[in-house]
Amino acid sequence: MQKYWQLFLLSWQNGLVYRTSLLMWRLRQFLSTVMALTVWSVLFNSSSSLFGYDRTQMTTYIFLVGILQSLILATGLNGLSNQVYSGSFSFDLLKPINIYVYLFVQDMADKAKNVFFVVIESIILFLLFKPSIFFPSIETAIIFCIWVLGAVLLLFFIQLIFGSFGFYSPETWGPRFLFFMFVDFTAGKLFPLDILPPIIRTFVGFTPFPYFSFWQIQLFLGKLSPMEIGQHTVVLSIWIAIAGYVSFSLWQKGIKDYSAAGQ
Amino acid sequence: MSAFHFGKKVLKITVRLVNKKYMFKRFKVYSTVWFIIASNAVQETFVNRWSNVLFFLGKAIRLGMSLIVLLLIKQATKGFGQYSTDEMIVFFLTYQLLDIVGQIFYRGVYMFSNMVRSGEFDLFLSKPINPLFRALTGQPDINDVFFLIPNLIISGYILSKLNITITVGSAVLYAALLLNSFLIVTALHILVLTIGVITTEVDGVIWMYRDLIRLGQFPVSVYAEPLRFALFFIIPIGVMITIPAEVLLNTPVTYSIFLSTLIGVGSLFISLRLWDWGIKQYSSASS
Repeated sequence: MQKYWQLFLLSWQNGLVYRTSLLMWRLRQFLSTVMALTVWSVLFNSSSSLFGYDRTQMTTYIFLVGILQSLILATGLNGLSNQVYSGSFSFDLLKPINIYVYLFVQDMADKAKNVFFVVIESIILFLLFKPSIFFPSIETAIIFCIWVLGAVLLLFFIQLIFGSFGFYSPETWGPRFLFFMFVDFTAGKLFPLDILPPIIRTFVGFTPFPYFSFWQIQLFLGKLSPMEIGQHTVVLSIWIAIAGYVSFSLWQKGIKDYSAAGQ
Repeated sequence: MSAFHFGKKVLKITVRLVNKKYMFKRFKVYSTVWFIIASNAVQETFVNRWSNVLFFLGKAIRLGMSLIVLLLIKQATKGFGQYSTDEMIVFFLTYQLLDIVGQIFYRGVYMFSNMVRSGEFDLFLSKPINPLFRALTGQPDINDVFFLIPNLIISGYILSKLNITITVGSAVLYAALLLNSFLIVTALHILVLTIGVITTEVDGVIWMYRDLIRLGQFPVSVYAEPLRFALFFIIPIGVMITIPAEVLLNTPVTYSIFLSTLIGVGSLFISLRLWDWGIKQYSSASS
């Protein structure tokens, strides 16, 4: 366990090497929240309720999605497929560590770094906009935390799937771009998914995308019945199981076929 | 730089500018180089065709979803600040156009930090082509050329359906101001390259630029101070997107066209001076 803790600390430090890039990344997240808060503030000036949300609920949505994006969607595994394809991944395979735990630790270090900054940003935004925030009951908050951890695990497995593409092809950025484009609209800061037309909502409902923050926020805002909470807990667990099975299968097969000449 | 040296440099540039034969020759050299680069980029696009299909699809989804949300907002509310919801869509279309054009010409900027870190940029410096030209235009995005065509058709269709007043005069002035916007796009990319030369970190800065111009998909005048001021005068996204859209819509402009042009030309001049300064600070990373 000690060695994984050390790896966590090393990954954390690695994440702080390019400080300008880190600063810019956080500033970008901050500005996108400012844009969303401004746009909805302007829209709520002419209406008290829009798309089933009042001003407080929408502000809570934007604040929460900002935090959840840093916790769930921030990942240190974006370059995994390139590492695999280029062969530099061989060095990690040679180490006396479990590769899945190592990758998970890397991912967690990146998330921890982002959460650290998002807390500071949220305080600044709170002081700037002085919004009313909706808070749920303790029971709901506990289920919310479990769903967030579930989403973290789900994205980790999906990142492993994208990483495994590197065993077979250098063209790995295209599928990831498409994936994150979907995520941007189904778990994005600018608008909640349920403002979209029913046909799009139904289609998106058959995908794992709403579990990257939309359903968590609906739960937080008290918009789900006990039955819906149970239903989404089951569906999220199924998605995690599917993604976990597919990612492990692809990795086992990929590692058997893996070769890295010249490394 | 002393006043004497600066004067000497200005004189040298002026002499070259009036020498038409020299200018034509240089233009021919640079256009040939760019066409070779663009031709290579086209071939690269077709080699990685499946990735490019996915990129195209992703961009189409992004555009489609953005338009759907704007149309939903249009149905749900009457106005957006001082603008109507129809006018709000024109701001978005202007943002979309400038974002794509910037990508088409200056996609190379996204790869610049790797060139600096690996020392590949040294090879640009040793060639008889301006290194800024190579760094800036070295990797045109052909995928965005393909995407620009449907984007223009969709934009034209949407504009024809909106309840807005566009005159021939406002359209001509809009086109002229878009050229001014392109100067600002160029200036901001040069600024990113300069930061890359000095810090070797471009990735964060270029994505920062992308996010800043995303703020321009809504009229910049709705943002609170000091962000509003910064978006007009420090990183002039407002001059780049909001003012041309306001001119097209025949609505009162937030700042005068003269000031906008001054900011456009001035930002390019300042960015070129910064690049000249930055390139002198460059020390090779490796190679």
